[in-house]
Amino acid sequence: MTVAQPRKDKAHRLSSTRVGGKLVADYWENIFTAKERGKHVVWYNGAALNPLFHAAGLEWCHGEAFAARLAAQHLEGPAQAAGAEYGYINELCSYARTHLGCAVLTHQNSNRSETGVVGLTDQQELASKLPAPDFFVNGYAGCSTGQQWDAMTYRVFDRALPLFNVSIPMLWGNKPDAGYMRGEEWIEVGKYVEGQLRELVDFLEYQTGRPFDWDALSESMSYIKRASELRLEGMELCRQAPTPATYWDWVASIAPINFLPGNQDLVDYFAGVKAEIEQRIADGVSAVENERYRVYFDGIMNWNKLGFLTRKFAEYDVAVVAGRYTHESFWQEPQLIDVDNPLLGMAQHYLLCPLNHGLKNLQELLLRRLDEYAIDGIAFHSTRTCRAMTNPQSMLARAAEAERGVKSFFFEGDVADASFYNDELFDSRLEAMLEAIDVQRMRSAV
Amino acid sequence: MNRLSPELMATLRAAADDPVAYAQTWKTTHGGSVIGAFPMNFPPELVHAAGALPVLIQENRTPITEGRNLLAEFYCGYTRSVADQAALGQLDVFDAVVAADHCVQLLGAVDVIRWARPEKPVHFAQLTSAMDDAWTRPRVAGRIGELTTEIEAALGVSITSDTLTASIRMFNANRRLLREFYELRRSGRLRITASEMQVLVKSSMVMDIAEHTVALERLLDGIDPADEGQPDVVRLYLSGHFCHAPRPELLDVIEETGVIVVDDDLYTGYRYISTDVPETGDPFEALSSWYLERNLNAPCPTRVTTQVDWDRYLVDELTRSNANGVIVLMAKFCEPHMLYYPEIRKALEKNRTPALLIETEHEGNPVETLRTRVETFVERIRRQRMPALS
Amino acid sequence: MSTDKWFVMGVDLGSTTAKAAVVDQDGVLCGTDVVQMGAVSREAVARAIEGAAAAARIPREVVRRTVSTGYGRRLVPGADRTFTEITCHARGAAALRPGVRLVIDIGGQDSKAIIVDDDGLVKRFAMNDRCASGTGRFFDVLARALEVDIDAVGDLALAGAEGLEVSTMCATFAETEVISLLAQGQDKADIAASVHRAVAARTLGLVAQVGRATPAVMTGGVAKNPAAIRCVSQALRHPIEVLDQPQIAGAYGAGLLARDEYLGARTALPARDAATETRMASRSPGGGQHCASCDGVLDGNHVHAGGPVMLDLQRSE
Repeated sequence: MTVAQPRKDKAHRLSSTRVGGKLVADYWENIFTAKERGKHVVWYNGAALNPLFHAAGLEWCHGEAFAARLAAQHLEGPAQAAGAEYGYINELCSYARTHLGCAVLTHQNSNRSETGVVGLTDQQELASKLPAPDFFVNGYAGCSTGQQWDAMTYRVFDRALPLFNVSIPMLWGNKPDAGYMRGEEWIEVGKYVEGQLRELVDFLEYQTGRPFDWDALSESMSYIKRASELRLEGMELCRQAPTPATYWDWVASIAPINFLPGNQDLVDYFAGVKAEIEQRIADGVSAVENERYRVYFDGIMNWNKLGFLTRKFAEYDVAVVAGRYTHESFWQEPQLIDVDNPLLGMAQHYLLCPLNHGLKNLQELLLRRLDEYAIDGIAFHSTRTCRAMTNPQSMLARAAEAERGVKSFFFEGDVADASFYNDELFDSRLEAMLEAIDVQRMRSAV
Repeated sequence: MNRLSPELMATLRAAADDPVAYAQTWKTTHGGSVIGAFPMNFPPELVHAAGALPVLIQENRTPITEGRNLLAEFYCGYTRSVADQAALGQLDVFDAVVAADHCVQLLGAVDVIRWARPEKPVHFAQLTSAMDDAWTRPRVAGRIGELTTEIEAALGVSITSDTLTASIRMFNANRRLLREFYELRRSGRLRITASEMQVLVKSSMVMDIAEHTVALERLLDGIDPADEGQPDVVRLYLSGHFCHAPRPELLDVIEETGVIVVDDDLYTGYRYISTDVPETGDPFEALSSWYLERNLNAPCPTRVTTQVDWDRYLVDELTRSNANGVIVLMAKFCEPHMLYYPEIRKALEKNRTPALLIETEHEGNPVETLRTRVETFVERIRRQRMPALS
Repeated sequence: MSTDKWFVMGVDLGSTTAKAAVVDQDGVLCGTDVVQMGAVSREAVARAIEGAAAAARIPREVVRRTVSTGYGRRLVPGADRTFTEITCHARGAAALRPGVRLVIDIGGQDSKAIIVDDDGLVKRFAMNDRCASGTGRFFDVLARALEVDIDAVGDLALAGAEGLEVSTMCATFAETEVISLLAQGQDKADIAASVHRAVAARTLGLVAQVGRATPAVMTGGVAKNPAAIRCVSQALRHPIEVLDQPQIAGAYGAGLLARDEYLGARTALPARDAATETRMASRSPGGGQHCASCDGVLDGNHVHAGGPVMLDLQRSE
């Protein structure tokens, strides 16, 4: 039977991910000074449009990524307080709430006003350091809040700045031939989004007053493609048991693949991660000291609880090997990218956001991962303020049980708001699932 | 003093309160098909033109049981109720289900329907939410075209331009009549309670449109819209609730404090009837026009646009209706409302309009606490209007 | 000072206490009483009314007007009209601390944040009454779990460090967490301090809905808790001023409103609109309007002339 181990850290995280951590930290430090350096800054969320911004000579600020960063560092308080004072209710997507709070702080900085609960806008407060935007681009798949988000930031900045929308339709699957990356609708919708990317390029040229650098786009996309391939190869190596790396290592690698510039550093980073994994396999080092269970994590990441969850699962000898957020996202089908004409492949990736699939596709994807990674159980993070992610979870849990006999448990938490979380309930539910798996194993051993 | 005919109101109320029962009866008596549609942007004229009954699926009063297992607790009451109804088979009366809105919670609920009833035809025509782009209109037209094909296939009929034009005219006539009621109330020529007004609009979302229009005409015939005089009472505007109807008990509590509700931008209110479909030109194109124009007339925070603002619209409407204050009715967990609310609050404060926020839920809205809040709010407005006491 | 001495009364029948305040013609607070009770109790309110009159050293009969407030406001015998506790807390706090802008009331069952104007009238308010977190109930739960007296829990918290993580979302969850922290051997003072910080965080969220303003005061029972004052001051990054008698702010405010009403009726100003008249009549507990000019029936034909109203403590149904 499962017994919680005394508190010794049994999680062996990859050390190569620290390189990415440094790259990301430098990236943010750099962007905070964008306006002083006379740069144009674009604010966006959702889809990884950054290669386009890169080729347009812009500096880019991914709002969600910054909210995640704040939460991971436990520095989200001032942003959320500023958001609350502005009027955002705490049941709203905490990514949006946190980022909009940052927008309020940045805007206040620009206006040099000091009001409210947060008091003196503390120049040192990380939450207030985002550089003011010159314009907004919205490209958000699947989640209606995401699609409306930048229109609200636009209003926080007094409706004074331009806003461009890339409308990314849901992969709902009306037609019978619909499935993951196939069917008549898949082909049509890819072209529709590609067309809008061309319009976006025109818009960027107009805003920056300079011609778009198509060569630079091809170049950064070829780096991104390569980095993505290396990432996937590393993930592939985790199919074996015990796994050399966990979901938490892939989470640490999200920021680089999500918004860092496509260049050699990015490729080197993922090459380093893959190399460390290969080395661990050669040396017989596993990511979790005593891997007895392999778990899949479904749900958006709780950034405030990253360290806690990493240790907690390992305590129970659970290796969280893969998850929807990391594995069904972030340039995960690099073969789609034609580096000489990358727009269609990019458009298709924006459509392949993990939130943008109907239940049928998600079921297909889940079952595929359960098989690939030999999963024993699923941890469903019932993310309080992210309904896009939690939509299909109950039904996915049933499908996993019905089709593969895989058990699951649900725990409540949130993406950036620590108050929606209860440690006590987590333990008892995880234990219950592990016991169920034990019983299952005893039965099949007979 | 004018009264709306109780018998007519009873008929309308029955349909508004139990759309599923109405649909079942209609199917039996007419032998036709019933298509369930979701708020807010689906054009019912399309279904009507196919000879079927379009019914806007409503929140059900039943406490949620089965639905608990399918959608988490932190979803708006409407979507949870839809999931519950789907699981309990209460949506089986509909021969097909259609949606045009991209609200993430709604899509979750519609996926529950697909899961619970895999053989049921379900179609999602995603009408683009970004309204200002040149490529939006053709996209919307394309979705409406696909929707038309799907409905035709599901029912085995053909929707011609003529039948669609005829349907459009009927729905426009109905909306005009409803707008007349609104104008009568706004101008003080007719006292009609907020819950009664809601019955009028909500029943139009459910009933055979010809039948409904006749009922409205008879109601209007039965009243004498002479000036009833503006009583010296606090006038309130209700704002919010995009998809489902606020509970009538809640509306009654508000008016029990001695105020009158003079206008609203609720979905089961003015938002539903604000805009007519053009009656000239190609009727399928006209539906696209309607979709785009309606947001210009009554901006909805679920749409993305820089051309109009809901907060500015609200302030203008307050002036038009001479309201003394606003009660913001927010369905708990409604994301577009939570996103836009700070802008509304800002605009109302700048306009010095008193505003009260009430979050509503599917179950357990305690009447007493609501009463306290509304009373305080009204007390405050009254004291502002009255001379200061020495 | 006027030679014509008269008195009015404010009664606040809340969820856990009944409070009464006697106010004189100049608006001065003359006597108060607070009675603890299990639940809304007519007996308790009767005792509070007697107690306040005794404290003011006046016979009950000379009270000319009574306003009631609180959840039980319609159960108060002899009240001439009711006002919500939001309006009354604002009015009372503004009298106790002239110039106040923000009133925070953390009561037994609910919490309120109120922005008041120069006249002590409510400008904006926000309430939490659906959930025990951020209310006095949170401290009850804490006291029970730590096995200390509710009155001692604040001092205990002052002695502790606030570093422990306690759920701010649910008082029931918090109880489980407190027990679990005790089981881990955490210091009681630290646990108490951390819970106080959690409540202050919830309060901050409530204040955010109305906007921070200063000067700020706390009213209600929790305002006597020094740790609560400290934590909320820290959360708001501004000192909360302490009132002498925070618990009777609601009753005092009701008394001042009774005074306003009485003065208004004497000078025959149209104090309220027709709808209020009707509403008052239908909701007036224990008897109808008393007016020298009529038999108490509201016929809209004359303004009721105020005269001394005999406070009639009959049980109304």
